[in-house]
Amino acid sequence: MTTDASLAGAPTGRSWGDPAFAGIVRACGLVVLLLIGGIIAVMLAGGRQAFSTFGWGFLSSSAWNPVLDHYGALTAVFGTVVTAAIGLVVAVPLAFGVAFCLTEMAPAWLSGPLGIAVELLAAVPSIIFGMWGFFVIVPVMAHDIQPPLIHTLGHVRLLHPFFSGAPFGTGLLTAGLILAVMVTPFIAAVMRDVFNSMPPVLKESAYGLGSTRWDVMRQVVLPWSRTAVIGGIMLGLGRALGETMAVTFVIGNTNRISASLFSPGNTIASLIALEFPESPAGSLKLSALLALGFILMVISFVTLACSRLLLRAGRTARH
Amino acid sequence: MSATAAMKAPTRDLGLLRRRRAADMVATVLCFAATLVVLAALASILWTLVANGIGGLTLRTLTRVTAPAGGNGGLLNPLVGSVIQVALATLLGTPIGLLAGIYLAEYGTGSAVANAVRFVSDMLLSAPSILVGLFVYLVLVAPFHHFSGWAGVVALAILVVPIVVRTSEDMLRLVPLSMREAAAALGAPHWKVVLLVCVRAARRGMMTGVLLAVARISGETAPLLFTSLGNLNWSLSLNRSMASLPVTIYQYAGSPADDWVQLAWTAALLITVGVLLINIAARLGLRGGDR
Amino acid sequence: MDDRTAPRPLPGMSFQATATAGTSTSPGTARPMISTRNLDFHYGASQALKGISLDFPARQVTGLIGPSGCGKSTLLRVLNRMYDLYPGQRATGEVLLDGETIIGPHVDANRLRSRVGMVFQKPTPFPMSVESNVAFGIRLHERLGRADMAARIEDALRRVALWNEVKDRLRTSATSLSGGQQQRLCIARTIATRPEVILLDEPTSALDPISTARIEELLDELKQDFTIAIVTHNLQQAARCADRVAFFYMGELVEVDEASRLFTTPRQKRTQDYITGRFG
Repeated sequence: MTTDASLAGAPTGRSWGDPAFAGIVRACGLVVLLLIGGIIAVMLAGGRQAFSTFGWGFLSSSAWNPVLDHYGALTAVFGTVVTAAIGLVVAVPLAFGVAFCLTEMAPAWLSGPLGIAVELLAAVPSIIFGMWGFFVIVPVMAHDIQPPLIHTLGHVRLLHPFFSGAPFGTGLLTAGLILAVMVTPFIAAVMRDVFNSMPPVLKESAYGLGSTRWDVMRQVVLPWSRTAVIGGIMLGLGRALGETMAVTFVIGNTNRISASLFSPGNTIASLIALEFPESPAGSLKLSALLALGFILMVISFVTLACSRLLLRAGRTARH
Repeated sequence: MSATAAMKAPTRDLGLLRRRRAADMVATVLCFAATLVVLAALASILWTLVANGIGGLTLRTLTRVTAPAGGNGGLLNPLVGSVIQVALATLLGTPIGLLAGIYLAEYGTGSAVANAVRFVSDMLLSAPSILVGLFVYLVLVAPFHHFSGWAGVVALAILVVPIVVRTSEDMLRLVPLSMREAAAALGAPHWKVVLLVCVRAARRGMMTGVLLAVARISGETAPLLFTSLGNLNWSLSLNRSMASLPVTIYQYAGSPADDWVQLAWTAALLITVGVLLINIAARLGLRGGDR
Repeated sequence: MDDRTAPRPLPGMSFQATATAGTSTSPGTARPMISTRNLDFHYGASQALKGISLDFPARQVTGLIGPSGCGKSTLLRVLNRMYDLYPGQRATGEVLLDGETIIGPHVDANRLRSRVGMVFQKPTPFPMSVESNVAFGIRLHERLGRADMAARIEDALRRVALWNEVKDRLRTSATSLSGGQQQRLCIARTIATRPEVILLDEPTSALDPISTARIEELLDELKQDFTIAIVTHNLQQAARCADRVAFFYMGELVEVDEASRLFTTPRQKRTQDYITGRFG
């Protein structure tokens, strides 16, 4: 080469910039992986004492007895699953209604502010839901909801066990309802995005056949977006399972399994929040709480992983 | 045969149409009702907070340190503690989230590692925050035998990262290819293309992500319970336990002392108004960027 | 120089010897600033350029024409190695910039691009001020004092006849300029780095006729200092602006000649068909 070879890349100079930058951003990506790995490893290590002391019995025991130092996960897991299930049963129709309203029914001037209002509900901190539930919803439940239900459904033969007990206002049903209000905006947001991502041509051709809005929703939009909608519901479930502060205020915090929806109970997260201050470092109780945390992590990560996979499958199916 | 069927069809359709219309009406009413329920919940929350909290919102509340029940205390240390922890957590979590977002958007197409990072980050986005609290407790509190503001900062920063990752990647992917090519055509190395042009083009959306993260962690209670714990005395040291508004609400709301409950309401009002204002600002900012 | 870069056809490869022979050495043609020899280009499995050998004479405008997908834009993107940004794209053969090879792993693509600038179909102002847009490219390659930088910016903006329009709003966002102004800003940004070659990829296809005319006038002035290659769909534009025109079809270079000759007396039937509008 006769010229000054200015095109040849110098090994020093500016050529280190790109590899260095790529290395830094990759390292930051790996931090995220390390975090989740760390959380899993640390929880498992922390709960090892409880798992080894109680074995599989930890999962099937409903005991929570600090005096005898005997702990089991069953009550908390039961409360977690039941409250989340109640929450979803109420939240899914609500969220669907909101999403249908926002995408198909509300005029443009209304759907904008309406959408913001729903998003704001999602932004309200969970401890605020806890206070609101404790001071507003619990009295309403105790005076206006639970007594009539106990007097009516409580006397129906098959429903009796679910609607019996004293109307404290707190309990599984109240916690489930608060969770429903909390996760509705999340599910609704996913549903709205999915419904909005549908090509207008599909909807228009259905309208062109004389379909009503409800026909289009039921027969065109829903089947087309089913996978992603289920993903959105799973996302709501994942949030409901791990919710701590709102539930802690209203669940009653009793270690008891009862069929009654009015009975106080606890969830994994509320139990951890409440019992942690009384669990000295190194104690079996603390280890039991960490073991519960590990169980919660497994449950909610599986749920959230399903949600992500469904949402992604829905997205690729749509494009 | 087919001709008579065609003739009869309209009369049969009419009944069907009526049924379909009725179903449509019912669905419409129910959906509006559902929306009203959700709006009513929001309105009820806001009204409850304002009605109960506004009375305690005085200069004295904001300038006095927490005190024992009946002791004329205020919210100064939780307020300052929250601001410090949220600010530091944002400063710590944002760069990591931003760079990880850049990794996913710029280097992460078709890479298995990047797909794993994306998947895990999206899971962390919705993971129970109390688990993050437990994790940080085991890593940063238990080994040192004392709670600390730093532990709270780290716990909140862990919550910031996935939010910033998501918005950063999404916003960077919106930067048109032509802009990247134009920068590369001037001889800019890839890292300068990304930092000087792409990040600049996406900065408004990224700011939104950071604001949303700030709003999210400002109200987080569960991760702080086991990390910064809360502190009823005035302390600015991040090496000791540190007060925060959400934890103070948690401690005061269930107390039998009326003045503590009042302070809890006031703190709740402060946090919610702050969080909602940040959210609205973030969304308006994003919308302004479209023009 | 031509001897050293003599074409070496590989077996099984169509080589357009007839297309370049005679023209690349024809009298009156300046020395080539860029010459490609036997250039192949692949997008993954599909071949986009087949054995291209073409000279771009210094300080002339070379127009590249042909139907969509014929490879003319691809060739442009080889000349500044823009294809490097995308995995699965590769060029083989020889491309010389002023006698130096630009294909191969030892070539610093960023330095190459400081010598071979590019202007795109749509204006691509960066999300920063007018001034910063022009300074962006300069700062990548040179450290200048404030006064020198201001002088360079002014000079670049004057050369694209934009100075008078923007001198009072150098600090405002470049996205607030009109489409034609944005495109001239992008040209200013490119020439501010003082390249030897400017590649233009359909630079006026997103512009109105008045802005288009201004850019065409500009090309005439710029060719006194720069070697210019322009891809265009607009045959009139090629006839107006280009000194030499190369016609591409299906990844092959069909014919290259003085613009006046190619449009009046094409030697190839395919060229004839294209310029008379029978396909494309």
